[in-house]
Amino acid sequence: MALPDGSREINGVYIGDLLSWVMGRAQMDNAWITIMSNVNVIAVASLADTSCVILAEGVEMTEDLVQTACEKDVNILRISQPAYETALLLSQLIS
Amino acid sequence: MKELSLNILDVAENSVKAGASCTQILLTEEGNLLTLEIVDNGCGMSEEVVRSVVDPFYTTRTTRKVGLGVPLLKLASEQTGGNFQIESVTEQDNPEEHGTHVTATFYTDHIDFTPLGDVTETLLTLIQGHPDRDFVFCHQRNGHVVELDTRELREVLEDVPLNSYDVMGWIGGNLEEQYDALSQADGHSGEE
Repeated sequence: MALPDGSREINGVYIGDLLSWVMGRAQMDNAWITIMSNVNVIAVASLADTSCVILAEGVEMTEDLVQTACEKDVNILRISQPAYETALLLSQLIS
Repeated sequence: MKELSLNILDVAENSVKAGASCTQILLTEEGNLLTLEIVDNGCGMSEEVVRSVVDPFYTTRTTRKVGLGVPLLKLASEQTGGNFQIESVTEQDNPEEHGTHVTATFYTDHIDFTPLGDVTETLLTLIQGHPDRDFVFCHQRNGHVVELDTRELREVLEDVPLNSYDVMGWIGGNLEEQYDALSQADGHSGEE
């Protein structure tokens, strides 16, 4: 987990793995759930201004990824559950 | 991108932006290996810039701080087990022969292979947007070829702009015919 901008609020959830697709569709302040974990994810999160990236299904977070996230002020978290269960958890938290 | 043709469009636009008078888009299929090459005679990039263009936080745009054309093409290639490479010679280093050569390979039988999509549309978009530049396209598969060279068209057309309605229509129709012939050849080789 890396929360360089930990004061962000979450107002909804977006789930997707095709980065170019997410880029145009994730909304500002969404939590974005994905299983992609390359550095491009940080760029897309920064571009779409999501409140955080959540790597589902326990996807590994490389040191490089965490470092870039910190540099670019992108919050990134990891969870062992799949995307659907993660979204349900978030739904309870933000409603 | 849902289609490789969109990645190609994105990266070929970089060639145009680099001042290339001619940009070649080459697709070569050998069995399950697809090689994409985008070769231009633009201003080229220094070694440092070549290293940084694969970084998604590098962009020549000033309107936003992220550029994903090259990183997404690299990702599309690597997620099929393929390779991605950029070679470039700057105009300063070699005023006679400069430009950039992007090579991406794809294993088309990998489940994460992005379909090629509508390459004809990509070419038409490039020509429409940049009628003063030249584009060479060559798609080879099983010894058959689909090709387009705007330099040849320009010679025949003389003063008629490449992006005039009739010329664009002809180019689109001609590429479609060539692709139909390519698919037919695929069918025949499958029967043998």
